[in-house]
Amino acid sequence: MAALIIRSLSQTTRRGVQVTSVRFANKMMADPLEHATGLEKQELMAKAAGNDNPFDMRVYKRISGDQTNPTVVPSFYEKRLVGCICEEDATCINWMWLEKGDKKRCECGYWFQLADAKPMV
Amino acid sequence: MSSSHGHHAYHLVDMSPWPLTGSVSAMMLTTGLVKWFHQFNMDLLLLSFLATILTMIQWWRDVTREGTYQGLHTQVVMKGLRWGMILFIVSEVLFFFSFFWAFFHSSLSPTIEIGMCWPPVGIQPFNPFQIPLLNTTILLSSGATVTWAHHAITSSNHSEAIQSLALTIFLGLYFSALQAFEYAEASFTIADSVYGSTFFVATGFHGLHVIIGTSFLAVCFYRLYKCHFSSDHHFGFEAAAWYWHFVDVVWLFLYIFIYWWGG
Repeated sequence: MAALIIRSLSQTTRRGVQVTSVRFANKMMADPLEHATGLEKQELMAKAAGNDNPFDMRVYKRISGDQTNPTVVPSFYEKRLVGCICEEDATCINWMWLEKGDKKRCECGYWFQLADAKPMV
Repeated sequence: MSSSHGHHAYHLVDMSPWPLTGSVSAMMLTTGLVKWFHQFNMDLLLLSFLATILTMIQWWRDVTREGTYQGLHTQVVMKGLRWGMILFIVSEVLFFFSFFWAFFHSSLSPTIEIGMCWPPVGIQPFNPFQIPLLNTTILLSSGATVTWAHHAITSSNHSEAIQSLALTIFLGLYFSALQAFEYAEASFTIADSVYGSTFFVATGFHGLHVIIGTSFLAVCFYRLYKCHFSSDHHFGFEAAAWYWHFVDVVWLFLYIFIYWWGG
């Protein structure tokens, strides 16, 4: 045993520091997507698949919004609280409950309709 | 989609006892210090240390579970954590601002009671070009090594991150040890005029923050060792690095104004 230790030590010390295994033992970390789990991973996968707004966090631009062509708002539930910025420089948001089925008109005249939201991925 | 968390990116936290145990421990800690100072009895202080450490371990464990193992820290949650840390550090800046205010108030126009000079009559301050200068180089070096660790993490190099973070923690411990020796050797005490008061309150709170920062880095070291971080998601480490840089900057101000200009 002692001979074995002496031999391995002398072999290690004869090698220069540049070629010892310690220098090349760089253990790499996991890929961020492989490392992630749960909601975090779903968000990353949705973004990788080209969906850069997976949680529907952005403000919707109102379209022409008349009765025949309402602004469509997606929802996972039967109703969703919707806020309308009626005028460009309005200082408050007008909130209303939008329910699935009927179209609804904001007091400013624009129409809205609730649609089924698609799953994130 | 995880059904229990709804169709949104936010992390609605579960009920947790740690804010309560943390508050009780912090109250016990201050009360325990007063009891120690006045009655030379450390019972309450040691009990509060135990309660504080148990709270820290379990709270950190819970956040690690939520972030790393349950994947609840989405992009928008991380943004919130970032703002939280930024606001916390701003509040810490204001905390130290008050000690510098006290120092400059007393040193810029010294009163007749202290001899109308700074340092006050009878005070022999430390030589700023001995241990304090060494401490400056130690903390500046640790700022470099923590940046090295960050670069290693963002380039997914686990081995190098471990080495550089270990070096950073070692430098933090070295700084604390030197400050402890310096305190033991001091020729003045916290009760020796306003010089001793401002000196030990400012450098003492800074030392406490170095210890807290070293603990924060040590938690990151453990998490790095356990492979909790990825090259894109390692906010725990970033928060510790921000905190460490803050502690570093406070030391530079302490060194320049209290040790050097004021000594």
